[in-house]
Amino acid sequence: MQDTFQTLVSGLSLGAVYALVAMGFSLVYRTMGLVNFAHADIAMIGAYAASTFYLTSKLPFAVAMIVAILVTGAIGLVIERVLRPLENKDFDLMLIGTIGFGIVLQAVAILIWGTTGRAVPSPLASAPLDVFGIRIRPYDLLVMGVAALAVVALSFFLSRTKRGAAMQAVAMDHEAATAVGIDVGRSNALAFAIGAGLAALAGGLVGPMLYVDASLGGALGIKGFAAAMLGGFGSINGAVVGGIAIGVLDSYAAGHFQGYSVLVTFLLFTVAIMIRPTGIFGERTVSRA
Amino acid sequence: MNLTDSPQAPRLTVEDLSVHYGGVCAVSNIGFTVEPGGSVGIIGANGAGKTSTLKALMGLVPRSSGRISLGDQDLSRTKARDMVRHGIGYVPEGRHIFPGLPVDKNLLLGAYARAWNKGTHQQLDEIYDLFPVLGEMRHRLAGALSGGQQQMLAMGRALMSSPRLLVLDEPSMGLSPKLVGSILDVLLKLREDGLSLLLVEQNAKLTFGVTSHCIVMENGEAVMDGSSAALSRDPRVREVYLGL
Repeated sequence: MQDTFQTLVSGLSLGAVYALVAMGFSLVYRTMGLVNFAHADIAMIGAYAASTFYLTSKLPFAVAMIVAILVTGAIGLVIERVLRPLENKDFDLMLIGTIGFGIVLQAVAILIWGTTGRAVPSPLASAPLDVFGIRIRPYDLLVMGVAALAVVALSFFLSRTKRGAAMQAVAMDHEAATAVGIDVGRSNALAFAIGAGLAALAGGLVGPMLYVDASLGGALGIKGFAAAMLGGFGSINGAVVGGIAIGVLDSYAAGHFQGYSVLVTFLLFTVAIMIRPTGIFGERTVSRA
Repeated sequence: MNLTDSPQAPRLTVEDLSVHYGGVCAVSNIGFTVEPGGSVGIIGANGAGKTSTLKALMGLVPRSSGRISLGDQDLSRTKARDMVRHGIGYVPEGRHIFPGLPVDKNLLLGAYARAWNKGTHQQLDEIYDLFPVLGEMRHRLAGALSGGQQQMLAMGRALMSSPRLLVLDEPSMGLSPKLVGSILDVLLKLREDGLSLLLVEQNAKLTFGVTSHCIVMENGEAVMDGSSAALSRDPRVREVYLGL
């Protein structure tokens, strides 16, 4: 039983990271109807940037994270601005464009940081806490706390602010949103920037948990994407639930199936998607027809 | 604050407006004016080019040619998102409400171009006075409303922008005769309050009841033009559009 809870705790902290990645995927999708395939590589750049500001520039971890979020937010703005002329003209090309940006970001990461990668020490070096025999690393609690704050902040932004409402309106009806005076391009740019910021948050937080290298984006992205699908692509609540589900599943699979853990995780994911193709929270589709 | 207490709209002038989709001409050299406080209707069958005319006016589809001015302001190159800032409110065909947002948020987004403040919320109450059913359902998701309620919401949303000219595209589409009557009452009230109206409709009876001037469109062209009263007596119009 103790082992079960121990695995659950590990799964929850990793799941919180996947939830952040999934939220970024979902936010851009529900706003623009676009799957941003560069998202995972933005998370990788976020991880590298946060670790560089933390280890090389010796900035406090929190400050390094904020700077990394700003850097990737700017990358998100650039990607949206470059792809904007394709919106409503050639959606497929826009999708391929995000794949292209992902490849470019990987190449840039290798140029700047090389191919060796780096290990990032935990900013909270204290010993694990013992809660009823379950050992909980303070850093895991930090990751879960920060992810929870990000979920609350994003939900507040979308449901309580004028710009958040406008962003949702753009997602629901591009033409009607334009007619009420919303600048659709700016709304999409903001969605891209926030999505990229969430990716950087995930990348920066996962740095001390995993090894940071150019392939980190692929590892994070595939599970974040699966989390978004499992929760219901486009749903923020779904992204959170999907992220935690994939994290916990991943953690249990790693504990029981070792070398086959990824296979087991994705087999179960595939079964879940076959049973409920729209994901747990259904799907807010954005028709591009 | 009053829904229609904005200064009256200057004269809207549309000259030689044309719209092409690829090589197909949807609207050919349409021209009309909406006088301050006036009401103009455009009637025609499906595919006559009525909606394309309105969309081109609003900047929602590219204009092949034409000049649009509101008073002494040239709006020919004004972007769609800025039309509302010139006092033109738009009720699109098919309502186009934001289905996943509550009724009150839909209405507030109508006032997106202005700061949301106490006055905005007073205006919201005025919309609820005009359409009491929206007040009763203010927290319900817009997508859960009936067709008639959604039409009221689309009109309320456009009114939230404090328009000086209200452009409506087929507000009676798909509604029961009773609801069409309600829409007619609201439009007459808005007209009496001095709001300029530009109404596109297939329902000629409704259009003649609301507007003082009317254009009949066929195949992208204006084939008849005159006072609504005169057109409603025209034998061809009576036969084709009123079924008499």
